[in-house]
Amino acid sequence: MRRWYLKPWLFGIIAGCMFVFAEVIFNLYPPTAYTFCLTCHARDFINTIVNLLFKTNYQITFLARRVLMTTSLCVMAGAFIAARIFNEFRFKRSTHPILFFLTGFIIMITGIIIFGCPTRIVIRSGYGDVYGIVALTGIFIGILNGTTMLKLLSKAKFSD
Amino acid sequence: MKIYISIVLGVIGIIVGFLAQRSRMCFVAGFRDYLLVRDKELLLGLFTFLVTIWMLTSILYSMNILKKGIPEYGDIVVRSQVEIAMNGLNVKHTKLFGDGPGISSLLNNFLIISLCGGWLMGILSTFVGGCVLRQHVLFAQGNIDSFYYLIGFYCAVLVYYNFLAKFLVTLY
Repeated sequence: MRRWYLKPWLFGIIAGCMFVFAEVIFNLYPPTAYTFCLTCHARDFINTIVNLLFKTNYQITFLARRVLMTTSLCVMAGAFIAARIFNEFRFKRSTHPILFFLTGFIIMITGIIIFGCPTRIVIRSGYGDVYGIVALTGIFIGILNGTTMLKLLSKAKFSD
Repeated sequence: MKIYISIVLGVIGIIVGFLAQRSRMCFVAGFRDYLLVRDKELLLGLFTFLVTIWMLTSILYSMNILKKGIPEYGDIVVRSQVEIAMNGLNVKHTKLFGDGPGISSLLNNFLIISLCGGWLMGILSTFVGGCVLRQHVLFAQGNIDSFYYLIGFYCAVLVYYNFLAKFLVTLY
Protein backbone atom coordinates (compact mmCIF):
# COMPACT_ATOMS: atom_id res chain seq x y z
CA MET A 1 0.00 0.00 0.00
CA ARG A 2 1.18 3.48 -0.79
CA ARG A 3 2.57 5.45 2.14
CA TRP A 4 0.24 8.09 3.43
CA TYR A 5 1.42 10.61 5.98
CA LEU A 6 -0.62 13.17 7.83
CA LYS A 7 0.83 16.59 8.48
CA PRO A 8 0.97 17.36 12.23
CA TRP A 9 -0.90 20.64 11.82
CA LEU A 10 -3.79 18.74 10.22
CA PHE A 11 -3.76 16.37 13.19
CA GLY A 12 -3.99 19.42 15.45
CA ILE A 13 -7.03 20.82 13.65
CA ILE A 14 -8.87 17.49 13.37
CA ALA A 15 -8.21 16.39 16.95
CA GLY A 16 -8.95 19.83 18.39
CA CYS A 17 -12.32 20.09 16.63
CA MET A 18 -13.16 16.52 17.62
CA PHE A 19 -12.45 17.01 21.30
CA VAL A 20 -14.37 20.26 21.66
CA PHE A 21 -17.40 19.17 19.63
CA ALA A 22 -17.57 15.77 21.32
CA GLU A 23 -17.84 17.49 24.67
CA VAL A 24 -20.59 19.80 23.42
CA ILE A 25 -22.61 17.17 21.58
CA PHE A 26 -22.40 14.27 24.04
CA ASN A 27 -22.31 16.30 27.28
CA LEU A 28 -18.99 14.86 28.41
CA TYR A 29 -18.77 16.78 31.67
CA PRO A 30 -18.07 17.35 34.57
CA PRO A 31 -15.10 17.81 34.65
CA THR A 32 -14.74 19.94 31.54
CA ALA A 33 -11.93 19.43 29.03
CA TYR A 34 -12.13 15.71 29.73
CA THR A 35 -12.78 14.16 26.32
CA PHE A 36 -9.20 13.01 26.01
CA CYS A 37 -6.65 12.31 28.70
CA LEU A 38 -4.49 9.26 28.93
CA THR A 39 -3.53 9.41 32.61
CA CYS A 40 -6.95 10.40 33.92
CA HIS A 41 -8.89 7.97 31.74
CA ALA A 42 -6.52 5.11 32.55
CA ARG A 43 -6.86 6.01 36.22
CA ASP A 44 -10.65 5.97 35.96
CA PHE A 45 -10.68 2.70 34.03
CA ILE A 46 -8.43 0.88 36.48
CA ASN A 47 -10.14 2.33 39.54
CA THR A 48 -13.60 1.42 38.23
CA ILE A 49 -12.51 -2.19 37.80
CA VAL A 50 -10.78 -2.29 41.20
CA ASN A 51 -13.82 -0.74 42.88
CA LEU A 52 -16.07 -3.35 41.28
CA LEU A 53 -13.82 -6.27 42.19
CA PHE A 54 -12.68 -5.41 45.70
CA LYS A 55 -15.48 -3.06 46.87
CA THR A 56 -12.97 -0.27 47.51
CA ASN A 57 -13.67 3.44 47.20
CA TYR A 58 -10.87 4.80 45.06
CA GLN A 59 -11.18 8.20 43.43
CA ILE A 60 -12.99 8.38 40.08
CA THR A 61 -14.38 11.47 38.41
CA PHE A 62 -18.08 12.25 38.02
CA LEU A 63 -18.05 11.32 34.35
CA ALA A 64 -16.54 7.90 35.07
CA ARG A 65 -19.47 6.99 37.27
CA ARG A 66 -21.69 6.66 34.22
CA VAL A 67 -19.14 5.91 31.48
CA LEU A 68 -16.49 3.25 31.10
CA MET A 69 -13.27 5.01 30.04
CA THR A 70 -11.73 2.88 27.32
CA THR A 71 -9.69 5.63 25.68
CA SER A 72 -6.18 4.37 26.39
CA LEU A 73 -6.91 0.87 25.10
CA CYS A 74 -8.60 2.28 22.01
CA VAL A 75 -5.64 4.58 21.27
CA MET A 76 -3.42 1.52 21.24
CA ALA A 77 -5.92 -0.32 19.04
CA GLY A 78 -6.12 2.55 16.56
CA ALA A 79 -2.37 2.92 16.36
CA PHE A 80 -2.04 -0.84 15.91
CA ILE A 81 -4.53 -0.81 13.04
CA ALA A 82 -2.65 2.05 11.38
CA ALA A 83 0.70 0.34 11.85
CA ARG A 84 -0.66 -2.91 10.38
CA ILE A 85 -2.33 -1.26 7.38
CA PHE A 86 0.76 0.72 6.43
CA ASN A 87 3.30 -2.02 7.27
CA GLU A 88 5.07 -0.20 10.06
CA PHE A 89 4.68 -2.84 12.72
CA ARG A 90 8.05 -4.26 13.73
CA PHE A 91 9.48 -5.34 17.04
CA LYS A 92 12.24 -3.22 18.48
CA ARG A 93 14.38 -4.70 21.22
CA SER A 94 14.39 -3.06 24.63
CA THR A 95 17.44 -1.10 25.74
CA HIS A 96 16.70 0.18 29.25
CA PRO A 97 13.70 -1.67 30.71
CA ILE A 98 14.04 -0.52 34.31
CA LEU A 99 14.63 3.11 33.34
CA PHE A 100 11.51 3.14 31.18
CA PHE A 101 9.48 1.41 33.89
CA LEU A 102 10.48 4.00 36.48
CA THR A 103 9.83 6.88 34.10
CA GLY A 104 6.34 5.65 33.34
CA PHE A 105 5.71 5.18 37.04
CA ILE A 106 6.76 8.73 37.96
CA ILE A 107 4.93 10.30 35.02
CA MET A 108 1.68 8.57 35.96
CA ILE A 109 1.91 9.78 39.56
CA THR A 110 2.73 13.33 38.41
CA GLY A 111 -0.15 13.15 35.96
CA ILE A 112 -2.59 12.08 38.64
CA ILE A 113 -1.47 14.94 40.87
CA ILE A 114 -1.65 17.71 38.26
CA PHE A 115 -4.73 16.21 36.53
CA GLY A 116 -3.55 15.52 33.05
CA CYS A 117 -1.15 14.02 30.60
CA PRO A 118 0.60 16.53 28.27
CA THR A 119 -2.32 16.25 25.85
CA ARG A 120 -4.89 17.25 28.42
CA ILE A 121 -2.69 20.03 29.71
CA VAL A 122 -2.69 21.52 26.21
CA ILE A 123 -6.47 21.05 26.00
CA ARG A 124 -6.93 22.72 29.37
CA SER A 125 -4.78 25.68 28.40
CA GLY A 126 -6.89 26.00 25.27
CA TYR A 127 -9.98 26.11 27.47
CA GLY A 128 -8.51 29.09 29.27
CA ASP A 129 -7.59 27.35 32.49
CA VAL A 130 -4.83 29.26 34.28
CA TYR A 131 -3.38 26.16 35.91
CA GLY A 132 -3.20 24.45 32.53
CA ILE A 133 -1.21 27.33 31.09
CA VAL A 134 1.11 27.24 34.11
CA ALA A 135 1.63 23.48 33.68
CA LEU A 136 2.32 23.98 29.95
CA THR A 137 4.94 26.58 30.85
CA GLY A 138 6.41 24.05 33.25
CA ILE A 139 6.56 21.44 30.50
CA PHE A 140 8.36 23.88 28.20
CA ILE A 141 10.91 24.71 30.91
CA GLY A 142 11.38 20.99 31.55
CA ILE A 143 12.00 20.29 27.87
CA LEU A 144 14.48 23.16 27.77
CA ASN A 145 16.41 21.69 30.71
CA GLY A 146 16.12 18.16 29.35
CA THR A 147 17.54 19.04 25.94
CA THR A 148 20.40 20.93 27.59
CA MET A 149 21.19 17.85 29.65
CA LEU A 150 20.99 15.62 26.56
CA LYS A 151 23.43 17.90 24.76
CA LEU A 152 25.84 17.82 27.72
CA LEU A 153 25.57 14.02 27.96
CA SER A 154 26.29 13.52 24.27
CA LYS A 155 29.22 15.94 24.48
CA ALA A 156 30.68 13.99 27.42
CA LYS A 157 30.20 10.73 25.54
CA PHE A 158 31.99 11.93 22.42
CA SER A 159 34.89 13.53 24.27
CA ASP A 160 35.88 10.23 25.93
CA MET B 1 -23.70 3.17 32.89
CA LYS B 2 -24.34 4.79 29.52
CA ILE B 3 -22.93 2.53 26.88
CA TYR B 4 -23.16 4.85 23.88
CA ILE B 5 -20.92 7.45 25.54
CA SER B 6 -18.38 4.72 26.25
CA ILE B 7 -18.50 3.79 22.58
CA VAL B 8 -18.08 7.43 21.58
CA LEU B 9 -14.98 7.71 23.78
CA GLY B 10 -13.64 4.50 22.28
CA VAL B 11 -14.20 5.75 18.73
CA ILE B 12 -12.44 9.04 19.58
CA GLY B 13 -9.56 7.00 20.97
CA ILE B 14 -9.30 4.85 17.84
CA ILE B 15 -9.36 7.88 15.52
CA VAL B 16 -6.78 9.74 17.59
CA GLY B 17 -4.53 6.68 17.75
CA PHE B 18 -4.80 6.16 13.99
CA LEU B 19 -4.05 9.81 13.17
CA ALA B 20 -1.27 10.05 15.76
CA GLN B 21 0.43 7.00 14.28
CA ARG B 22 0.22 8.54 10.81
CA SER B 23 1.44 11.99 11.79
CA ARG B 24 4.03 11.00 14.47
CA MET B 25 2.39 13.57 16.66
CA CYS B 26 3.98 14.18 20.04
CA PHE B 27 3.38 17.04 22.40
CA VAL B 28 6.89 16.97 23.85
CA ALA B 29 8.96 16.18 20.78
CA GLY B 30 7.78 19.34 19.00
CA PHE B 31 9.64 21.74 21.25
CA ARG B 32 12.51 19.28 21.71
CA ASP B 33 13.05 18.94 17.95
CA TYR B 34 12.95 22.69 17.59
CA LEU B 35 15.66 23.10 20.23
CA LEU B 36 17.86 20.29 18.94
CA VAL B 37 17.59 20.41 15.14
CA ARG B 38 15.32 23.44 14.45
CA ASP B 39 12.57 21.26 13.00
CA LYS B 40 9.31 23.19 13.27
CA GLU B 41 6.80 20.65 11.97
CA LEU B 42 5.72 18.99 15.23
CA LEU B 43 5.79 22.31 17.10
CA LEU B 44 3.40 23.64 14.47
CA GLY B 45 1.15 20.66 15.21
CA LEU B 46 1.12 21.50 18.92
CA PHE B 47 0.30 25.13 18.30
CA THR B 48 -2.46 24.43 15.78
CA PHE B 49 -3.98 22.03 18.32
CA LEU B 50 -3.82 24.69 21.03
CA VAL B 51 -5.12 27.49 18.81
CA THR B 52 -7.96 25.37 17.39
CA ILE B 53 -9.23 24.53 20.86
CA TRP B 54 -8.73 28.09 22.03
CA MET B 55 -10.70 29.60 19.14
CA LEU B 56 -13.50 27.02 19.28
CA THR B 57 -13.95 27.35 23.02
CA SER B 58 -13.92 31.15 22.83
CA ILE B 59 -16.67 31.02 20.20
CA LEU B 60 -18.71 28.45 22.11
CA TYR B 61 -18.30 30.29 25.43
CA SER B 62 -19.60 33.45 23.85
CA MET B 63 -22.58 31.57 22.36
CA ASN B 64 -23.33 30.04 25.78
CA ILE B 65 -23.19 26.50 24.37
CA LEU B 66 -20.16 25.48 26.37
CA LYS B 67 -20.62 26.21 30.04
CA LYS B 68 -17.85 28.00 31.84
CA GLY B 69 -17.28 27.63 35.54
CA ILE B 70 -17.68 23.89 35.81
CA PRO B 71 -14.77 22.38 37.73
CA GLU B 72 -12.05 21.28 35.37
CA TYR B 73 -10.18 18.80 37.52
CA GLY B 74 -10.83 15.67 39.52
CA ASP B 75 -12.60 15.35 42.81
CA ILE B 76 -10.16 17.10 45.11
CA VAL B 77 -10.23 20.55 43.60
CA VAL B 78 -13.85 20.08 42.64
CA ARG B 79 -14.85 20.12 46.30
CA SER B 80 -13.22 23.46 47.02
CA GLN B 81 -14.60 24.91 43.79
CA VAL B 82 -18.15 23.85 44.63
CA GLU B 83 -17.81 25.52 48.02
CA ILE B 84 -16.56 28.69 46.37
CA ALA B 85 -19.39 28.60 43.83
CA MET B 86 -21.97 28.19 46.59
CA ASN B 87 -20.54 31.18 48.41
CA GLY B 88 -20.96 33.21 45.24
CA LEU B 89 -17.27 33.79 44.62
CA ASN B 90 -16.01 32.01 41.53
CA VAL B 91 -12.33 32.54 42.22
CA LYS B 92 -10.87 29.97 39.86
CA HIS B 93 -12.41 31.44 36.71
CA THR B 94 -11.97 35.15 37.17
CA LYS B 95 -10.15 37.29 34.68
CA LEU B 96 -6.57 38.23 35.36
CA PHE B 97 -7.29 41.85 34.53
CA GLY B 98 -10.45 43.80 35.06
CA ASP B 99 -13.01 43.10 37.73
CA GLY B 100 -12.62 40.12 40.02
CA PRO B 101 -10.33 39.12 42.85
CA GLY B 102 -7.24 39.34 40.64
CA ILE B 103 -3.93 37.56 40.47
CA SER B 104 -3.40 37.08 44.19
CA SER B 105 -6.33 34.65 44.44
CA LEU B 106 -4.71 32.41 41.87
CA LEU B 107 -1.53 32.00 43.90
CA ASN B 108 -2.08 28.81 45.84
CA ASN B 109 -0.46 25.44 46.27
CA PHE B 110 -1.96 24.01 43.12
CA LEU B 111 -0.25 26.65 40.97
CA ILE B 112 3.16 25.66 42.31
CA ILE B 113 2.31 21.95 42.00
CA SER B 114 1.25 22.49 38.38
CA LEU B 115 4.50 24.25 37.55
CA CYS B 116 6.73 21.67 39.27
CA GLY B 117 4.73 18.71 37.96
CA GLY B 118 4.84 20.07 34.44
CA TRP B 119 8.57 20.57 34.75
CA LEU B 120 9.11 16.99 35.95
CA MET B 121 6.87 15.65 33.19
CA GLY B 122 8.71 17.65 30.54
CA ILE B 123 12.19 16.63 31.64
CA LEU B 124 11.34 12.92 31.96
CA SER B 125 9.41 12.85 28.69
CA THR B 126 12.42 14.34 26.94
CA PHE B 127 14.62 11.53 28.21
CA VAL B 128 12.30 8.73 27.09
CA GLY B 129 11.70 10.52 23.81
CA GLY B 130 7.99 11.12 23.71
CA CYS B 131 4.91 12.18 25.58
CA VAL B 132 2.33 9.72 26.90
CA LEU B 133 0.35 9.61 23.64
CA ARG B 134 3.51 8.88 21.66
CA GLN B 135 4.46 6.05 24.03
CA HIS B 136 1.07 4.40 23.50
CA VAL B 137 1.51 4.70 19.74
CA LEU B 138 5.09 3.35 19.89
CA PHE B 139 3.91 0.36 21.90
CA ALA B 140 1.30 -0.37 19.27
CA GLN B 141 4.09 -0.26 16.67
CA GLY B 142 6.02 -2.93 18.55
CA ASN B 143 8.48 -0.96 20.64
CA ILE B 144 9.31 -3.02 23.74
CA ASP B 145 10.76 -0.05 25.64
CA SER B 146 7.33 1.57 25.54
CA PHE B 147 5.86 -1.69 26.77
CA TYR B 148 7.89 -1.40 29.97
CA TYR B 149 6.95 2.27 30.17
CA LEU B 150 3.27 1.39 30.00
CA ILE B 151 3.60 -1.37 32.61
CA GLY B 152 5.08 1.19 35.00
CA PHE B 153 2.39 3.63 33.93
CA TYR B 154 -0.49 1.35 34.87
CA CYS B 155 1.16 -0.10 37.99
CA ALA B 156 1.52 3.44 39.31
CA VAL B 157 -2.28 3.81 39.57
CA LEU B 158 -2.59 0.90 41.97
CA VAL B 159 0.49 1.88 43.96
CA TYR B 160 -0.63 5.50 44.19
CA TYR B 161 -4.11 4.77 45.50
CA ASN B 162 -2.94 2.03 47.86
CA PHE B 163 0.08 3.66 49.44
CA LEU B 164 0.90 7.18 48.27
CA ALA B 165 -2.46 8.96 48.15
CA LYS B 166 -2.58 9.58 51.89
CA PHE B 167 0.65 11.58 51.81
CA LEU B 168 0.35 13.27 48.45
CA VAL B 169 -3.21 14.55 48.88
CA THR B 170 -1.91 16.86 51.61
CA LEU B 171 0.01 18.75 48.90
CA TYR B 172 -3.11 20.49 47.62
